[in-house]
Amino acid sequence: MPEAPSAMDQHSSDPSRELSDEELSTLFATDALPYLDQLYGTALRMTRSPADAEDLVQETYAKAFAAYRTFQQGTNLRAWLFRILRNTFINDYRKAQRQPRFQPTDELGDAQMLDIETRSAGGSRSAEIEALELLGDDDVSAALAEIPEEFRTAVVLADVEGFSYREIADIMDSPVGTVMSRVHRGRKALRGLLDEYAKDRGLVGAQGGEQS
Amino acid sequence: MSCGRPHETPCSQVVASLSAYIDGEVGAEEYRLIAVHLTECPPCEHQRQEVRRVQALVVRASASIATPEGLRARIQATVVSDTSHRRPADDQE
Repeated sequence: MPEAPSAMDQHSSDPSRELSDEELSTLFATDALPYLDQLYGTALRMTRSPADAEDLVQETYAKAFAAYRTFQQGTNLRAWLFRILRNTFINDYRKAQRQPRFQPTDELGDAQMLDIETRSAGGSRSAEIEALELLGDDDVSAALAEIPEEFRTAVVLADVEGFSYREIADIMDSPVGTVMSRVHRGRKALRGLLDEYAKDRGLVGAQGGEQS
Repeated sequence: MSCGRPHETPCSQVVASLSAYIDGEVGAEEYRLIAVHLTECPPCEHQRQEVRRVQALVVRASASIATPEGLRARIQATVVSDTSHRRPADDQE
């Protein structure tokens, strides 16, 4: 009999063999924990609260570990973890906020979104794009926080995490066309909000952008 | 917003596909049409640049997020390490 290989060697040489809990634990720590910073960053965008983000990420790792035996090794672990993160957010966190059941969150999001879109469409001339760069990270985070979660998360998954629309569709349980529309409208709304912030901060005049 | 000149692809179509174009989510032919349009149409090219700037701002703001100290250790302790004590062999002791 050959010497027993390590968890990872064994895994790659014979995927049918059941790993012991300890081996599974080692594998999980090695493979899944490196995504902590990315998951936390996205969780913070979703929840808009450091304490909630921390709980959400802990819960995500607990669920992911509990389901890790069923995870198909060799498939996209990062996307799988983000999917658990989003599902946990929707199921646990959002329900805890006791949003009215008769009003689906998608409709709430759409109403909020329309409001932002109407505001930016009706505004006077927009700030020069260079003026937006003068905005601080806090303003950008505040603008992100203002757009509805479905749009915000789609934008963050695309821009910060670099996921493809197909991957985002899997993570968010939405059709690819919906993802495409959310990313597009999300960025546009963000642009409109950053514009408002730039005007509030007097950055538009500073750039010589607003004339009558 | 349009530069007023006729294009093979209308501005409205280009603007609607800008995000997908930037993300590399359009087919080869659509990509070519949009790329050509952008070279001919300053207002649409301006919008493309705006989307890129907004993207850059989102990335910049997200880079400053710091994972709370101790979270990694807590997850490791509560989620990952605990399992070594839950093996059936241990349960019988």
